[in-house]
Amino acid sequence: MTTLTLDGIDKFYGDLHILKDINLEVGQGEFISLLGPSGCGKTTTLRCIAGFEPIDRGRLLFGTREMTNVAPEHRDLGMVFQSYALFPHMTVAENLAFGLEVRKVAPAERAARIAKVLEMVRLAGYEGRFPRELSGGQQQRVALARALVIEPAVLLLDEPLANLDAALRDDMRFFIRDLQQRVGITTIYVTHDQSEALVMSDRIVVMEKGVVAQCGTPKEIYERPASRMVAGFIGHSDVIEGTVLGREGAMIVVETAAGRLRAHGPEAVSGPVHLMIRPEKLRPGLAENAMTGRVKKAVYQGSALLVVVELPSGQEISALLDADAAVAVGAELTLGFAARHGWVIAR
Amino acid sequence: MIAATRKRVWWMIVPALVLLVGFLVLPYASIVVMSLRTADTRAVYGEGFTLSHYAQIVTDPFIWGIVGRSLRMGLTVTVVTLLLGYPVAYHLANLRSRWASMLYIFVISPLLVGMVVRTFAWMIILSNNGVINGALKSLGLIERPILLLNTPLGVTIALIHVFLPFVILPLLGNLQAISPDLAAAGRSLGASRLRTFLKVTLPLSLPGIQAGAILVFVLSISAYVTPAMLGGTRGRTMSVLVVQYLVDSFRWPAGAALAIFMSAITLAIIVVYLRLTARAMRRLP
Amino acid sequence: MNGRKTVWDHLFTLLVTAIYLFLMSPILLVVILSFNAGEFLSLPIEGMSLRWFVALFHNTRFLDATLHSLLLAAVAAVVNGVIGTLAAIYVVRFAGPRLANPLRLLMSAPLLVPEILTAIALLFYFFELGVGNNYGLAIQVGHIIVTFPYVFLNVSSALFNFDRSQEEAARSLGAGGWMTFRRVTLPAVKPGLITGCLFAFVISFDIFNISLLLKSVGMNTLPLELFDYLRFNFDPTAAAIATVSIGVTFVAVVIVDRTVGLRSLRF
Repeated sequence: MTTLTLDGIDKFYGDLHILKDINLEVGQGEFISLLGPSGCGKTTTLRCIAGFEPIDRGRLLFGTREMTNVAPEHRDLGMVFQSYALFPHMTVAENLAFGLEVRKVAPAERAARIAKVLEMVRLAGYEGRFPRELSGGQQQRVALARALVIEPAVLLLDEPLANLDAALRDDMRFFIRDLQQRVGITTIYVTHDQSEALVMSDRIVVMEKGVVAQCGTPKEIYERPASRMVAGFIGHSDVIEGTVLGREGAMIVVETAAGRLRAHGPEAVSGPVHLMIRPEKLRPGLAENAMTGRVKKAVYQGSALLVVVELPSGQEISALLDADAAVAVGAELTLGFAARHGWVIAR
Repeated sequence: MIAATRKRVWWMIVPALVLLVGFLVLPYASIVVMSLRTADTRAVYGEGFTLSHYAQIVTDPFIWGIVGRSLRMGLTVTVVTLLLGYPVAYHLANLRSRWASMLYIFVISPLLVGMVVRTFAWMIILSNNGVINGALKSLGLIERPILLLNTPLGVTIALIHVFLPFVILPLLGNLQAISPDLAAAGRSLGASRLRTFLKVTLPLSLPGIQAGAILVFVLSISAYVTPAMLGGTRGRTMSVLVVQYLVDSFRWPAGAALAIFMSAITLAIIVVYLRLTARAMRRLP
Repeated sequence: MNGRKTVWDHLFTLLVTAIYLFLMSPILLVVILSFNAGEFLSLPIEGMSLRWFVALFHNTRFLDATLHSLLLAAVAAVVNGVIGTLAAIYVVRFAGPRLANPLRLLMSAPLLVPEILTAIALLFYFFELGVGNNYGLAIQVGHIIVTFPYVFLNVSSALFNFDRSQEEAARSLGAGGWMTFRRVTLPAVKPGLITGCLFAFVISFDIFNISLLLKSVGMNTLPLELFDYLRFNFDPTAAAIATVSIGVTFVAVVIVDRTVGLRSLRF
């Protein structure tokens, strides 16, 4: 069942075309990340859904209800802001009660719901504190609780972890994902952090310059990026330019400066292409798709050894090898990859 | 390192200290001393010391009448400037267009144009042949001019105009410091714009309201130019009376006592006001 | 950010526009009437003319008053530019947490007390010092005192926003204390200094109470001249005097806006 539909949304600021024909269908209970560099339109998209920015063209549906021109307060949303936006003059309990009072929830039920949600975000006992008396992580959880306590149809999160330190951020990823799955709430999550999007989402919408570059599961986005930009934005990748020679069954044969390589790719691809390989998929001594070059750099990274190899064509490719692999700078090294790990992208 | 440097750079503060202590703190003490001196018919003050000026002021119904009028005017001006200034500050704080800096100039330029000039403008507007009466006459609404000049009403209107920027600026600073996310959060939680304003923005802007109110109240109670030019005898305020004592009748000790009496009353009202508003602001960070 | 505009938005805009007009229109009125070809200070004007300005330039009392005002304001701005900047640097940088707040309060005090009271205090004080209103000293000191906080506060806020590590970087590159101050600190506080001095100038040019009580005999400032003129006359000459005064302010405001931006202003 669809909870949220963005149907061909366009948005302008003066002459600037901020959002171009955004289409998206979000299912009940789905966790969707809007991912992209700053200025790509992901936050604007979220604010359009929330109703803070009017939509210039297109429609917005919640279920089957048209929401395009509905005021933000009538959209039945919960929103968590990057700045948390906790009301500084209200205690934690009062912050949580705000949305319930608007909805005219009876005091007894109000108290029960606040207690339950605070329990959920592990902040029971903090009712009387003011936001300024809480740590960043605690404030973040209050903001989450305030959005959840009104039991909205959709939860919107605008880079909620951007202001937390790295260790806390990792914890909160799993905390939010876990909570979202327990409550089963449809969630739109804006982030510029690709690893956040990968671990948390059911689906990721990668945006660039106001358009949807790709929409898919984390695995699809990571392994089968639709464009060079998506490949570059999510994780590290080696990209080799080449031309499609033909097909061998499911595999595509690509002629490159590093030799004739085989990989898989979308059905229709032909002509000049990029061949993308993830560094951790390159293996030394593998005969399949073998490329030989000179080791330029070998950097020990703890869990892996990062090796940069210069091919005869002058191109450099990086590979993540086993941490105790014996690699000498200046020596020759042959790296190969399984054809199913290579991915061809139209150029 | 700072402590060591502090010893070497202490001279930097000396000129300012000489200026402010030598020509502000000490002179204020001299008002107190002057108010205790005896009157003299041949000089501005006599040789001995007395409390009689205070006694005379406190028992003089004429002075209490002027005190009452000054306070009424001050309160009216404060309340009206808050009511007019808040929407402007709110508008300016939420404005992001290129109009913003021009409108900001609109707000501060009256402040920078001298008091005499601004009051003069109001003389033109309020006089019997002035803009208001002229307009009403040509519309056929009145036959004889309404008396606005030399009345407390005229002074009050002009003071509202003159001091409006003083309430807008602290409020603007305050409102700009409130993150727009807070109002957005209120809306996302289901509160209407009005409710969000009343429950979130307004309580958070109380410090700005308080600062603006005190500023305007003190300024309008102590204003001299506007009541002197527009008030005549019927719109005379405490400041006007003090200057008359000093300049026209050379009763310096009595004038000093009156000035201190006026300051004490103003201060007392501010203290009461701060007590009353402290409760409302208790929750603010 | 509030989505689509409603009727209330338009009503609000209307109200706010009315208040902006209320703020600006009296001043515009004075300027318009100063160009009135007719004899009266009333609308509608009877054609445009510069006759009242021409009359002003033949009036020595008015010219003297203008020069006196400009001189008072210039001295106040320059003196405060020096001692206000020194004081701001000391208070923000060196005073330490315990001294800084009381000092800051003292330095802003002229702004916190009513100008009329300061004028009265200085009147008594200079009389008791035996100087009285001779040599134009009392009035000049009064102008400096009242405008001092404008320089102090503007330079202070520029210093607050200034990243100290820039100074440390200069020192680490081998610059001495004075060189660091001249090449790094001073340029950083320059916007605050310009704003502060120009406002000290404008405020000094306009203040009345101080001048009224402390002026030397026969030495009127421009606002005093206008005040006196209006006691016995009510014609467009007064509007012309006012327009000249507005013009001086306007030039200063434009300079501030062009060089450092009006929003950096601190009151």
